[in-house]
Amino acid sequence: MHGVGLMKVLFGNARLIPSAVAVCDVYANSGGTCKELCNNPYIYQVIRNYAFKSDLKIKWVRPPKIPSIKPEKSGDLVPLPPVDKKQYPLEFQNSEELKTADELVKRVFTLEFFPRRHSFRIVKCNMMNSVRRHALDMGSSESKIAQMTADIRNMQQIMEQFPKDKRRKVKLKELIERRKKWLKYLRIWDYRRFEWLLEELGLVYKPPPSKFHWITRKDSLRKLTDKHCEEVKQQRLHAYRASLEAQQVDFLRTKVQKLQWIRKEEEECGVKPTVTEKDIEQALKQLKELELSKENRLKDKAD
Amino acid sequence: MALTKTSKALMLLGQCVPSVKQNASKIRVKRLVLDEKLLMYFGEFEYYYAYDPGKICKTGDMVLIQQLPEKLTRLITHKVLEVVYPCGDITDPITGKEVVVGKYRDEIEEASKLFGESEGRFKYDKAPKRGWQEDKKDFTHRETYIKYHVFENDDQPYAV
Repeated sequence: MHGVGLMKVLFGNARLIPSAVAVCDVYANSGGTCKELCNNPYIYQVIRNYAFKSDLKIKWVRPPKIPSIKPEKSGDLVPLPPVDKKQYPLEFQNSEELKTADELVKRVFTLEFFPRRHSFRIVKCNMMNSVRRHALDMGSSESKIAQMTADIRNMQQIMEQFPKDKRRKVKLKELIERRKKWLKYLRIWDYRRFEWLLEELGLVYKPPPSKFHWITRKDSLRKLTDKHCEEVKQQRLHAYRASLEAQQVDFLRTKVQKLQWIRKEEEECGVKPTVTEKDIEQALKQLKELELSKENRLKDKAD
Repeated sequence: MALTKTSKALMLLGQCVPSVKQNASKIRVKRLVLDEKLLMYFGEFEYYYAYDPGKICKTGDMVLIQQLPEKLTRLITHKVLEVVYPCGDITDPITGKEVVVGKYRDEIEEASKLFGESEGRFKYDKAPKRGWQEDKKDFTHRETYIKYHVFENDDQPYAV
């Protein structure tokens, strides 16, 4: 091989360095000689395998990090509904004594004067009631998921107020993951129930990506470059197609003329014509169809 | 060596996996391969593209595919014959009843009747066919990826 011979001149019988071999091969294939290579001090700057910078003006915007506990990441589309503060807490709702009590006592027993968790208990109960199978259903997957969803949304609200609450953050994250696991199970157990539950609770389910990787500048730029190249390729293909289609009408017109001329000449010379009337008719038909479709397209554009 | 064996098989049973092809489905076929050193079988996956113009199979379905007499395209070598087990909608082949994991559906309904059915519960007879939440709340029909860039006019529904 020319390249390997060159290497021997350069380095004697030293070990062959693969990248250096590649450089020499490229150089030898381009018609250069050993002397030129030795005299040219910039040869290693021509091929830059590493530290390569693309000329394309692609700007990469790193996606902002969204914490896993945020609703947009956990898949919660709707927040917890507001509670009517004028009702009693769950344990006093059926109380006989409250019905006959004094107005002031009644007011003191409303949710206004109770801690937050009492209001949340009502919301959670409502949420479970909307999906559960029967009044005592606590263990079916839909009521479990509804329970977790209520807890998650409650904790998300609290986390907004107290962002430094690390214990709650961990609990919340684990709960979100557990709900996701249950949704995954429910999907393969009973697909229609799964879809109905997503609608009822206002959840979004996205499967995990097949492979985890960190987002890096290099990798993202590679993907963007690939995308750009694909777009350029498609653009050029479309342009080429358009240019070919623009020639079709003229081509068919000349084709018809030439076919007619050939047929006429052959008939005049007394030879059996190689071009039939059918061929000419077919070409004419094609031409008419093309012109029609072109007119239609122009009309559509004008509209 | 062993790979050629399955591709010669007349019909294959596999699971449909998400793909972006318009008229074909991507089918994953599992096969057990013997490790001669350990004398143990290990599962290996092969992927086939099966012609499916009506898109009868959805992600997760177990389907039967058959090799085409000629390759349709470079990738499409098979066609989908039938969906054997639709994902999340299983009928017990012995009794012919519909099941959810380890229970019959009618038994579940009976149990909830005994306790007194609630108003907002899920009803099988009123539920629409699978697929009405596609691209709205359920994104399992396409493969997701990790978000790597913020595009201006694209909210990237399949990015995680």
